[in-house]
Amino acid sequence: MSTPARKPRKQRTFSAFGDVRKMPSEYEIVTHAQNWNTRDGRMSTFEQNPSSPINLWFLTYRENSPLQVDDWDGWHDPDKVAYRSYVNMQAEEQTKLDGLLDSYNEAGADAEFPAEQVARLGALFTPSRYLVHGFQQVQAYIGYLGHSSYITSAAGYANADLLRRVTIVGYRTRELQMAHPDSGIGTEERKRWESDAAWQPAREAVERMLVAYDFGEAFTALNLVLAPTLDDVLLRQLGQVSKAAGDELEWHLGNVLGKDAKRRDRWCGGLARFCVQQRAENEKPLHKWIDRWSPLADAAAEGLAPLLGKPAGEVVAEARAAREKLHAGIFSTADAAAAAG
Amino acid sequence: MALLKREEWQDFVRDVDWTLTYVDDEAVYPEWFSGTGKVPREAWLAWEEDYKVSYQEYVYTQKEKEASTYAVKAALSRSDTFDHLDEGWKSATKMHFGGVAQVEYTATLAELKMARFGLNGAWRNMATFGQLDELRHNALTTYFGHELVVKDPQYDWTQKTYTTNDWVPISLRTLFDGIMTTSNVVDCALQVPLAFETGFTNLQFVALSADALQSGDINFANMISSIQTDEARHSQQGVATLQILAEHDPTRAQWVIDKAFWGSARAFSALTGPAMDYYTPLEHRKQSYREFMEEWIVDQFVRTIEDYGLKKPWFWDEFMRGLDTWHHSLHMGLWFWRPTIWWRPKAGVSKDERDWLREKYPNWEQTYGDKWDVIIDNVNANNVEATLPATLPYLCSLCHLPCCNPTQSRDGSWRVRNKPLSYDGKTYHFCSNGCRQIWWKDRDNVNHETLVDRFLAGQIQPMDVGGLLNYMSMTPDVMGDDADYEAWTKDYVGRPATGLAVPAGAQA
Repeated sequence: MSTPARKPRKQRTFSAFGDVRKMPSEYEIVTHAQNWNTRDGRMSTFEQNPSSPINLWFLTYRENSPLQVDDWDGWHDPDKVAYRSYVNMQAEEQTKLDGLLDSYNEAGADAEFPAEQVARLGALFTPSRYLVHGFQQVQAYIGYLGHSSYITSAAGYANADLLRRVTIVGYRTRELQMAHPDSGIGTEERKRWESDAAWQPAREAVERMLVAYDFGEAFTALNLVLAPTLDDVLLRQLGQVSKAAGDELEWHLGNVLGKDAKRRDRWCGGLARFCVQQRAENEKPLHKWIDRWSPLADAAAEGLAPLLGKPAGEVVAEARAAREKLHAGIFSTADAAAAAG
Repeated sequence: MALLKREEWQDFVRDVDWTLTYVDDEAVYPEWFSGTGKVPREAWLAWEEDYKVSYQEYVYTQKEKEASTYAVKAALSRSDTFDHLDEGWKSATKMHFGGVAQVEYTATLAELKMARFGLNGAWRNMATFGQLDELRHNALTTYFGHELVVKDPQYDWTQKTYTTNDWVPISLRTLFDGIMTTSNVVDCALQVPLAFETGFTNLQFVALSADALQSGDINFANMISSIQTDEARHSQQGVATLQILAEHDPTRAQWVIDKAFWGSARAFSALTGPAMDYYTPLEHRKQSYREFMEEWIVDQFVRTIEDYGLKKPWFWDEFMRGLDTWHHSLHMGLWFWRPTIWWRPKAGVSKDERDWLREKYPNWEQTYGDKWDVIIDNVNANNVEATLPATLPYLCSLCHLPCCNPTQSRDGSWRVRNKPLSYDGKTYHFCSNGCRQIWWKDRDNVNHETLVDRFLAGQIQPMDVGGLLNYMSMTPDVMGDDADYEAWTKDYVGRPATGLAVPAGAQA
C-alpha cells in the first residue's frame, strides 16, 4: 500500500507570496515587490554601467545608507493605501471639504474675520504653501529612492496629500484675497517666505532638508522631525488660535488636513519602528538624525510663534510634544522588545 | 454653489518656486537629476502645461474611472469569456501583463523624480499627478493579471518578470532604467511623456485594445483603454519641456528624442509586433504592425516634433526599412527560444496567415519563408526537438535583443548583419547602426554586460541550456512552447521536404 501523493495545490496568487493559504489583500497584490531596482541578486541598482552616475548615487544614498534592513518587503503600510482606496478616500474627503468651503463662502465668513485674524492668515497660513511644497519635494525623493515598493507607494500617496494641502492653501489664499483685497494676501506670500524673519528658520530647515540626500536621513528629517513638528504648529495650533479668533473654517481645515498628517505619522512611525525591530543598530542613525534635525524644527516653530500670537515657549513645547509622542511609539516598543528578548 | 473656479486660484498652487539662499541651487537641483545644461535656469520659469488640472478634479475623475473599470471587471469575472479566448491572443495578453505591469511602476519612479527635481513648481505638481497615474496603471495591470493566475501559471509573470534575469526583462530594464529612472528630468520629460507616451504607448494601448475587442477579450480592452485615458494629463510634461529645450538647445532636444524613439522602436518591435502580426487570430486583426506604425508613429509623431522645429531622426531610413523586418525576425527569435519566455508563442505561418503576411509585407516570403519552411518540415517529420535552441544568439550591446536584422544584399539575398565595434580592447556587437551609434555616444552610461557576456564570463553555471534557464528563473510549468503546432503546420503535411535535421540519436 502506498499513500497517494498529495496533489499540488492550484496556484491562486503570485508565487512571490510563497505557498500561502490565505489570499493576499488587494493592497498586497498591487504593492508587493513592484520595483525592480530593489530586486534580490541585482548586479547593480540599474541595468546599466555599474559606475554610471545614478548607480553611484543610489549606491551611496540608498544601498549604503546607515539605515538598513534585510527584508524591506516585510514592512507594509498599516492603512493599506492603494490607488483605488486612495482616490475613493480623498474624493469622499473632497466632497466634505467642498461642502465646508461652500457653506462658509455662502455665509460670507471671510469678510467677518477680525483684522488680527486676517493678518495672522496672511502672515502664517497663506505663505505656508512654499513650505509645504518643499515637503512635497522631499516626500517625492523618498518615494523615488524607496527601498521597497511598499515604501515608494506610501511616499507617493503622501506626496499627493501634500499637493492637496498646497491646493487648499492656494484656494483659501484667493478667497481671502477677494474678501480683503488690501491685506497683501495673494501678493506678499513669497516675500514673507523669503524675507520675513519669522519664516527664516523654517525656510532654512526646508532648504537644508532638500540636500539631505541619504534615504534614511531625508526620511527622518521630513517624516519624523520637521513635518510632525510644523504640522502641530500650522494645522493644530493655528486651527485652535483661529477658532478662538472667530475663524472656524481654518480650524476645520486644520482638522481635515490633520487626517492626512496622522496617516503619515502612522506609516512613517511604523516604518521607523520596523527598522529598529528588524535591526537594533538602526537606532543609532535614527537618533543621530533626530538629534540633528530637532533643533532646526524647534527653531522653525519658535520663529513662527509671533505670527501665531502665542508665547514662543508654549508653541515650541506643544510642537515638540507632538513630535516626541511619535518617537515614543518608535523606540519604546523596540526597548520593550529588547527587554523581553 | 459658491465654490471658486479653478482658474481663479490655481496660479497660487502652481507658483511655489522661491530663491534658495541657505543652500546652493545646484545642490537642490543637481545637474545629474535636473539637467538644465545650456538652458539658463530662469528660462524654466516659463514652463507651462497646456491642460491644467486640480487635485479635486483629479480625485473626483479618477474615482469614477476606477469605479467603472472595476465594475466591468466584476461583471466579466462571472462569465466564461476567458476560457474561450484564442491561445494566441492569450499569449499577447501574457506578454503584456508581464512586460508592462512593472514598467508602469518604473514610470512612477520617473514621475517622482520629476516631482522632486523638476525645474518649475507647476512641473513638479504635474509630475505628482503623473506618479499617481502610474501607480494606477501598475495596480490595474497587476490586479487584472493576478486574477488569471488561477487559470494559467504563466500569468504569474505579471509580477515575476522583472525580478528575473530572463533576457526579455534584461533588455527592457536597460531601456526603461535608461529613459525613466536614471535620466535627468529634462531628458526624461522628452523621452517618457513625449517620445514614449504620446508616441509609442499608443501602439500597445490603442492597437491592442482594438485587437482585444475583436478577439472578444472585453476585460483586457476595458483595462487598457481606461489606462490610456490618463496619458493626456501627465504626458503634457513632454511638450511643455520641449518648448523650452528646443528654444535653447535644439541639438540636445533632437538627440534625446531620437534615441528614446529608437529604443522604443526596438522594444515595441519585440512586444507589439509579434502580438499584432502573429498572435492575434487572423480574422481579428485590424491593421498590420507596419500600418499601425505608419499611422500612429510615422505620421503623428513626426508631425509633433516638426512643429517644434526638430527633424526626422538621423536613423530614419534604417528605422523605416526595419518596419519590414525587425518584428518578423524577433518573432522568429521569440518562437525559437520559446523555452525562455512566459507565454506560448504562436508561429502563425499557416497558408492563410502567410498570404496575409505577404500581402502586408511583400518581401516577407523571400526573407522569412524558407526559414519557416525548414521548421515546418521538421515539425511535420515529428522532429520538434530540432527546432529547439541549443545555443545563444548574439545579443546587441545596446538594446540587448538578439542581433537578427536582415538587410538586402546587392545580389538580392537577405542576410542578418552584425555591426561590431572595437572599443577598449573588446569587440561589441550590435543589431543595427542605430544601436551602435547610440552606444558609442552614451558608452559611459550604457556599457553593461549582455546575457551572453555573463555566460561567457562564467557567471551562469552550468554552461548549458539548463543552466541558462535556471539563471532566467524559468520553471517548467511556465516555460513557453508553441500553442498549437498542428494549427500552422497541417497545411504542409505530405509535401516533399528538404533540410530535415537528423533526429538526435538516430545516426548510425
